[in-house]
Amino acid sequence: MNDDDSCHAPDESCYNSAMTRALNIAAVVTEYRKYSHAQHIVDRFLYGYGWNGKHHRPAMQIVSMYTDQCPESDLSRDREREFDQLKIYPTVAEALTRGGDSLAVDGVLLIGEHGDYPTNEKGQRLYPRYELFQQITSVFRDSGRSVPVFNDKHLSWNWRWAEEMVATARELNFPLLAGSSLPLARRLPELEIPRDAKVKEVMSVALGSPDSYDFHALEVIQSMVERRVGGETGVISMHALKGKAVWDAMATESWDAGGWDPQLLEGCLSRSHKLKSARDTYSHRLPTLAELRAQHPNPVAYRFQYADGLKATMLLADGLVSDFTFAAKIESQPKPVSTLMFLPYYDLQNFFSPQVNHIEKLFQSGQPAYPIERTLLTTGLTAAGVDSLFRGQRRIMTPHLRFAYQPADESTYWRT
Amino acid sequence: MYTRRAFLGTTAATTLATTLTGNNEAAEGRKQKIAVVTTAWHFQSHAQHMVDRFLVGYPHEGEWHHPQCQVVAAYVDQTPDGDLSEQRAAEFGFQIYPTIDQALRQGTDKLAVDGVLLIAEHGEYPRNEKGQILYPRSEFFQQIVNVFEKDGRSVPVFNDKHLSYRFDLAKQMVDNAHQLSFPLMAGSSLPVTWRLPSVEMPANCRVREALMVGCGGSDAMDFHALEAMQCMLERRRGGETGVKSVQVVVGEQVWKTGKQGVWSRDLLEMALSRSNELQGISRTEAKPQDLTRSGQLQELVNDPVAYFIEYIDGTRATLLMLNGAVADYTFAANAVDENQRSHKLSTLFYLPPTPNVTYSAELMNRVEHMLITGKSQYPVERTLLVSGMLESCLESKHLNGVTVSTPHLAVRYEPTAESQFARS
Repeated sequence: MNDDDSCHAPDESCYNSAMTRALNIAAVVTEYRKYSHAQHIVDRFLYGYGWNGKHHRPAMQIVSMYTDQCPESDLSRDREREFDQLKIYPTVAEALTRGGDSLAVDGVLLIGEHGDYPTNEKGQRLYPRYELFQQITSVFRDSGRSVPVFNDKHLSWNWRWAEEMVATARELNFPLLAGSSLPLARRLPELEIPRDAKVKEVMSVALGSPDSYDFHALEVIQSMVERRVGGETGVISMHALKGKAVWDAMATESWDAGGWDPQLLEGCLSRSHKLKSARDTYSHRLPTLAELRAQHPNPVAYRFQYADGLKATMLLADGLVSDFTFAAKIESQPKPVSTLMFLPYYDLQNFFSPQVNHIEKLFQSGQPAYPIERTLLTTGLTAAGVDSLFRGQRRIMTPHLRFAYQPADESTYWRT
Repeated sequence: MYTRRAFLGTTAATTLATTLTGNNEAAEGRKQKIAVVTTAWHFQSHAQHMVDRFLVGYPHEGEWHHPQCQVVAAYVDQTPDGDLSEQRAAEFGFQIYPTIDQALRQGTDKLAVDGVLLIAEHGEYPRNEKGQILYPRSEFFQQIVNVFEKDGRSVPVFNDKHLSYRFDLAKQMVDNAHQLSFPLMAGSSLPVTWRLPSVEMPANCRVREALMVGCGGSDAMDFHALEAMQCMLERRRGGETGVKSVQVVVGEQVWKTGKQGVWSRDLLEMALSRSNELQGISRTEAKPQDLTRSGQLQELVNDPVAYFIEYIDGTRATLLMLNGAVADYTFAANAVDENQRSHKLSTLFYLPPTPNVTYSAELMNRVEHMLITGKSQYPVERTLLVSGMLESCLESKHLNGVTVSTPHLAVRYEPTAESQFARS
C-alpha cells in the first residue's frame, strides 16, 4: 500500500507488514473508565463497532497499555483479563517496548483526556499530554525508529509544548494525527466549505465552558474555514468576552461594532437540535435577546481574526444549546451556510467511530487524514482564548498563530 | 430577537409563496388561515409541537422560518389537566370552538379557513381487541368533510399519523378527498426526517430483501416503523402496487423465522450497524457490541415481534420490533438497480431528541408547502396502504400469527420524483 514516498516514517516495513499481520498498537492513557475517551476509543479497537453496514473489527490489536491513573472505576484491568494479547505496563516506555529493549509496536494511541489533574490559575486542566508524548518519543529516539501517533484532542495546554510536539514529530519523521471527533462527525446537513469560497465571517455555538468544549467549538470552526480560498493563513488576534459583555456585543449586530452578524447566530441556533426553550410549555422557540440576557448570565465568546481578514466568533452560551453548530457568511451569498456537527449523545457515543476509523487508516497507511497544523492552530486558539479571559477580557495579539497551511484534499467528515 | 428576523421571515415565506404558486394573495402577505382539530393539546403532544411551529416559527434550512400561516380556530376534544390550548389561544389570539363545524367556520355560517390540521394522537381513547387505539380520526374527518360539502368549498387537510384504525374508514377518507378535490396529506414524520447516512433507494430498483428495525409500543410506534419502511420500498421498480398478505409472529417464532431465513441476519447486521442506541452493555457499559453474533439479542429482547409484508409484485419486507435491544429506527435493503448493479443500503431514521423534536418541524414544513401550493407533497396513498397494513398485521397478531390475505390492499401509487427527507 505504500509503494511511493508517501510513508513518512523511517521504517516503512511497519506499514507493509499490515498486509501480512495485524498491527500491534500501544495505548497510553490517563484513565480508562466508563465514558472516558480512552474507553470509547480503545473499546472500539477491542470490540469493533458499527460501520458502513457491518460490525467492523479493526485489523489491528491493542497489545499494550499504560494508564497514568487507575481510579476505583477503572476498567483497564478488566480489559487486560478479557483480552489475552493485552498487557498493562507500569511505564510508558515498557508499554511501547512491551517489556523489551526497543520499540515493539506499530502505532501509539495517546489519550490524555479525563483523570484527576490539577488546573492552573487560568483554569486550564493540566492533562499530561506533552509529558506522555515526551516519554513516547524518547522510546522512538532510543530505538532509532518511529511509528504513527494519534493524540486525542488538543496537543498541550501549553502553547510552547504543543509547538514542540509538532516539531518533534517532524524531526523524528513520524505521522502525527490529533484532534477531536467534531470535525469527523456527521453534519446535518452535509455541508463542506468549497475550496474557492471567500469566507467573510463565521460562528460556532456550542455547549460547555472554557478549556474543554471551547477546544471542540474552535476545532469545528478551524476544520471548516481551513478550506476557504487560499487555505489557512493563521490568526492575528483573540478577544474573549464573558457574562453581560457577550450579550452587549450581540446587541451591536455587527463584527465591526464589537459583536457578530445576527444571521450567523440565527443560522447556528436554527441548526441546533438541542436548543433550550426560553419559555415554559414551549418545546422549541427562538429566544429573544432579553431572554438570553435573563436566562444565560454566564456566556463566553471568543472573537478572533485571521490574517486574511476572516472574522470568527465562538459562543459558549451557558446552557442555551447542548450541541455544536456552525454558520458562515460567504462573499456574494445573501444567506449564511450552516450545519450541525452531530454527536449522538447516547451512551455508546458513536461519534468516536469515525475518529477511530481515521486512526486505523493512520496506522495502516502512515498518512494522517488531515494536517496536524489544524490541531496546532486550534490548540493555540484555545490557549489564547483562555489567556484573553485571564487578562480581563483584553484583546490580545497572536503573532505565534500566524502560520499558513493547506487542508486535506478530501473532506474527512462522516457521510458513509 | 434579531432586528432582521421579521424581515427575513416575511421575505422567505413570500418568495416561497410566489415561486411555488404565483399566488398574489400570499405574496402580498395575506396569511393562510388554519383551523386545528385535535384530541388533546398538552406539553409534548403532537398538537403542541406541531401547532407551535405555526405559532412561533421553526428552524428550516438554517433560518428561523415564520410561516405565512395563522392559526385562527381550534377544536379540542379533551382538555385534561395540563391542557395548553386555552393558553395558546389567549397568547396568539385565536378562538377555541365547541364543535368542529364552528371551528372551521370561525363561528360564521361558511367555511372560513384555508387549511385544516387534524391531529388526533394522544388523549384518552379506548382500545379494541386487536390493541388498536380508537383515535377518532375518521370521525373528525367526516365532520370536516361535511362542512366542505355543505359550504361548497374545500381546503387542504393534514392528517397526523395513520388515517383510521379501520381500512374501510381510511379508504373513505381518501375517497372523500378525491371526490371533493382537496389535497390530503397524512402520515408520520419518519419519512421526512434526517437519514444517517443521507441515502435514498436507487431509482427503479428491484428490492431483493428489506428489513426495518424499530422499537416502542403498538399501535403507535409500529405505524412509524412501517411507514418509514414503506417510504423506502415505494421507490422500487414499477412503483407501489399494494400488499398481498401480512403476518405477524411474536416471541420464539421471531428467532425461529430468522433461522429459517424468512428474514436476513445480514440485513439485521446492516441495520444495527446504523443504530446509535443499542441497549444492553452499550447502555450499561457504553460498550460497542456485535448484537447479530454475540447471542445477546435474544437475551435483551423479551417480546420480539416480526411483521412480514408480502407485496403483490412479490417483494418481501420485514419489520422487527426489538424492544430491549435498540431504541431507534434503522433500515437495510439489498437492491438491484436498473443497470443490474447490486446495492447494499442501510440507514438510520434519525429522530432528534425531546423537547425540540425537530422532526416535527420538517413535517410541518411539508404541510406548510401544501397549504401554500395547494398540493400534497407526497401521495396520501402511502399512508392509506400503511394504515391498512398495520390493521391487518394487528389482526394477524390477534389471531396468533396466521397469514392474513389482504386483497383490499391493492393500493397503487407512484412515489414523488424528488425524495422528501431532510437533507438541506
